[in-house]
Amino acid sequence: MFSKHWMLIAPARCGAEMMELLWLIPAFPLAGFLALAVTGARMPKRLAAIIGTGSVGASAVVALFIGMHFISSPPQGHLSSQTLWTWIEIGEFRPSITFYLDPLSLVMTFVVTFVGFLIHLYSTEFMAEEEGYSRFFAYMNLFVCSMLILVLADNLLLLYLGWEGVGLCSYLLIGFWYKDHANGRAAMKAFIVTRVGDTSMAIGFILLYFNLGTLNIQEIMQRASQAWPVGSTFAVAAAALLLGGALGKSAQLPLQTWLPDAMAGPTPVSALIHAATMVTAGVYLIARTNVLFTLAPVVQEAVAVIGALTLLIAGFSALTQHDIKRVLAYSTISQIGYMFLALGVGAWSAALFHFMTHAFFKALLFLGAGAVILALDYEHNMFRMGGLRKELPLTFWTFLIGSASLSALPLVTAGFYSKDLILWYSLSSEDGSPWFWAAGMAGALLTSIYTFRMVFLIFFGAAKGRVSRKPGMTMKFPLLILAVLSIIGGFVELPRIPIFSEFVKTALPSAKTLHEGLLGEGMQQVIASGVSLIGVSIAYLLFLRAPLNVERFTSHPAGKALHRFWFSGWGFDWLYNKVFVGPFIWIARTNKDDFIDLIYGGMAWYGRFFHVALSLTQSGKVRWYAMGITIGAVITIGITVFL
Amino acid sequence: MTLNDLAPLIPLMVIAVSSVIIMLGIAFYRSRAFSGLLTLAGIAVAFITLFGVQGTRQVTSLLILDDYALFYIGLILAASFVVALLSSDYLEGRRENIEEFYILLLLSTLGSSVLAASTHFVSFFIGLEILSVSLYALIAYTRNELNIEAGVKYLVLAAASSAFLLFGIALLYGETGTMEFSRMSSGISAQGINKGMLLTGFALVLTGVGFKLAVAPFHMWTPDVYEGAPAPVTAFVATVSKGGVFALLLRYFIQVDMHAYPSLFGAVAFIAVASMFAGNLLALLQKNIKRILAYSSIAHLGYLLVAFLAGGVMRVTAVTFYLVAYFITTLGAFGVVTMLSGKERDADAVEDYQGLFRHRPWLALIFSAMLFSLAGIPLTAGFIGKFYIVAAGAGSALWLLVIMLVINSAIGLYYYLRIIVVLYAQPGHSEVSAVSSLPLTGSLVLVLLTVLLLWLGVYPEPLIEMIHRMTMRF
Repeated sequence: MFSKHWMLIAPARCGAEMMELLWLIPAFPLAGFLALAVTGARMPKRLAAIIGTGSVGASAVVALFIGMHFISSPPQGHLSSQTLWTWIEIGEFRPSITFYLDPLSLVMTFVVTFVGFLIHLYSTEFMAEEEGYSRFFAYMNLFVCSMLILVLADNLLLLYLGWEGVGLCSYLLIGFWYKDHANGRAAMKAFIVTRVGDTSMAIGFILLYFNLGTLNIQEIMQRASQAWPVGSTFAVAAAALLLGGALGKSAQLPLQTWLPDAMAGPTPVSALIHAATMVTAGVYLIARTNVLFTLAPVVQEAVAVIGALTLLIAGFSALTQHDIKRVLAYSTISQIGYMFLALGVGAWSAALFHFMTHAFFKALLFLGAGAVILALDYEHNMFRMGGLRKELPLTFWTFLIGSASLSALPLVTAGFYSKDLILWYSLSSEDGSPWFWAAGMAGALLTSIYTFRMVFLIFFGAAKGRVSRKPGMTMKFPLLILAVLSIIGGFVELPRIPIFSEFVKTALPSAKTLHEGLLGEGMQQVIASGVSLIGVSIAYLLFLRAPLNVERFTSHPAGKALHRFWFSGWGFDWLYNKVFVGPFIWIARTNKDDFIDLIYGGMAWYGRFFHVALSLTQSGKVRWYAMGITIGAVITIGITVFL
Repeated sequence: MTLNDLAPLIPLMVIAVSSVIIMLGIAFYRSRAFSGLLTLAGIAVAFITLFGVQGTRQVTSLLILDDYALFYIGLILAASFVVALLSSDYLEGRRENIEEFYILLLLSTLGSSVLAASTHFVSFFIGLEILSVSLYALIAYTRNELNIEAGVKYLVLAAASSAFLLFGIALLYGETGTMEFSRMSSGISAQGINKGMLLTGFALVLTGVGFKLAVAPFHMWTPDVYEGAPAPVTAFVATVSKGGVFALLLRYFIQVDMHAYPSLFGAVAFIAVASMFAGNLLALLQKNIKRILAYSSIAHLGYLLVAFLAGGVMRVTAVTFYLVAYFITTLGAFGVVTMLSGKERDADAVEDYQGLFRHRPWLALIFSAMLFSLAGIPLTAGFIGKFYIVAAGAGSALWLLVIMLVINSAIGLYYYLRIIVVLYAQPGHSEVSAVSSLPLTGSLVLVLLTVLLLWLGVYPEPLIEMIHRMTMRF
């Protein structure tokens, strides 16, 4: 009887043996984490590097084989799943450890393992001088493992495990240099702010489970579309709660404030967790549960609005930062804003496509920034850099490619194709609007301005710092590969040759386009190209030709105020401190001895009191114990006979 | 009766015969290795023969070897095996003659196994006495002052409780005219029965069993005996002796449908709640590890009674899984105490464990795992066990009991975590930490127990299915 249940929950198994290896993908990094965590600092650095990088490399190889197999002979229904075991079994509650592979999770897995591997490789050199070398790799491996569990999970509970796992690793790695108090605070901020979203998401999961009676994501989607009409209360509530989780993890308005501070972690961490993978978990969550959002048009609309607002706000903030990593952080928030915009207008595959190209070029930019930072003895301020293109030629060229891709320079960059797709759908999709398109265009202009501001400040002009060390082979190699990917990564989805959308269409419905007539796709591409080139020119004029103009603007009181406003991320931190943190601390302080504490304090007091009282009965005297038994017998008889 | 009818009893006979062989062997020549190995071999062979039990399972009206009994006997044998392994190194140097220890160990194992298989008050009482009498000697075995005090205490109190039990049996026999469990319920439904006498009989049986299980208010002996007995024997008292008795209790009250007597149900509920509170509150600020574990076992038996009170299929599953988890955890915890104990005294003060992680990281991790399991933290067997108990309780709508259980789990967390904190603190000054090297067999046993603990916490399905199969034919 029970084995039959077990069969029921294991969906149609794909016959191919290749798919049976799926579990290895998260298992390798997990093994790496365990090996590193158990031996700790005793492990020699070289071995730690080999284990840390090798485990992610091994899962990348397995992912490659499985991916090739998946593409060459797709399993039935373009999905396969592997049930390892059932965790617990209580009536209907039967969460299994099952991995689910479809084009969506395959793309995510690819990016996580490959980019992850390159970043690990880079870190072997970047972190070489650091204390806690094996601790670093242990956390990183645990992160990769959790991220893979997140994207491969077939049910909500497993997804939640991965989701919390990446959150934990993010916390641990932001605070990696824990001896500096500020880093610990940044880690805590990231953890607490994302927790707000996580709580909302957990409530959403519980709501789904209680109303639909299953944890399996695919079943939830099926049952939801059967049980809930479009716009019904439950669908809206569930989608909104899930959106809360996505906003926290993906640093979108209003929960975006943690990401710039998260830059306190080592640069490879920023590249892997806070640019390429973890912060896009929200995008993944929404794409994975797209049925729910289709059932709740209001929430989907909100996704688009939030995306559009976030991409603008973060774009302006990026324009004013001094710290190279903070520019990139705001840029990440802004680019994820684009992905949310795409999700909001129903262009699911465009969001995933932008996720992929963004992972390539943003990881590249972070790693390039890391090389620069290391070369200048941990200098983060771009205004104290300059003229580095001669000294660090490879870093310069790869950084330039990454910047071009981020600014979506036409035709040759991956970023162009993915961003173009989003802009196109924001206008032409059923749910699109000219406003979204305008916001996206404005964002594109901002993007190319702040990106090339960065390029010009760092690599052009007069040299200001002395280069103390140059990147070695293990740092150059990932830069090169990522630079290549930042260019060719876009060719998988050309207008009229949509290989990528065709591939993922079994997992993600294609966008419904409507008003073709407003602006042709070709025309829109021309405009977008023009905008990004204009942005580069503006950056050239403002920051290389005549930086004085900028200074004149920022020294004017109104300009100064605006600069400060943008620099501080539109005052969100200030606002949250005033509205939430301050009052919360005040309430906590004034309420320290309130009645809620009294309950707990009282429990502790009663606990101690009864402990002392009962201890008196443990006198050690046999006659007393025998008396105890007798009294017990009398009580028992009393209850049984007279009650 | 033919010889063939006795075939299902082979596992029990193997145990009995092994003890006789050792006894005779000692008469000719004393050899520690011989006695130890023979004990281990005897238990192992008995365990293997469990799988061969077929055919007539009911042996006379006294014993039945159905799947339920076989499962519990298997559990008891496995626990005895572990205790035998742990004691071999422990006894070395503590007493000159350690061969008799094994005889007593085998005999009490036999007694406990008989309990798990008995369907009759006579076999029940005989099994209980075989178990108890061997335990008196085992507890006092290393003959220091504490040992002997504990042994005598146990002797006096166990004898007193047996008297209650016998009186109860007599009353039940007087009213129903039978001592067979299965015929008792038909005897009860007969006309002209004195309900007061019957219920008093139940209550007195409950008293006798309650003493053995160390549930409140019959629990007061527990800490003294646990503290006084040698550490491996304590592990034995906590697991083997309680496991057999609990198996019997469950069988008895399923056959004599307990839910037909609301007041009896109330009495057990009272005992459950009292045990949870007494155990946890007494452990709260206790400074002796063995006493903490004693109190904690009182509380755990209280949790078990909650599942016991639940009806339906879930009851046996929950109780059995919890008992398995409890066995593993308790053996592991006392295993750590055994391994760290010096020759003069057992490592039973909390200070002895201060900073254990610094010089014995593995042992500290294992101990932490055991304590986490006792506290019911996820990824350990203890969590799954507690989960099943709560599910069983909630399934039968025993809300008050479930709430009590949750409150008590919270209280319990305090003293488990207190020990864990000490494990990772700065090392203190204690002679116990200076134990030179750890015996290999003991270390292997502990590692195995920890693996089992985590395995059952992550992947409990095989065991659950095994229990399901067993209960379906119950």
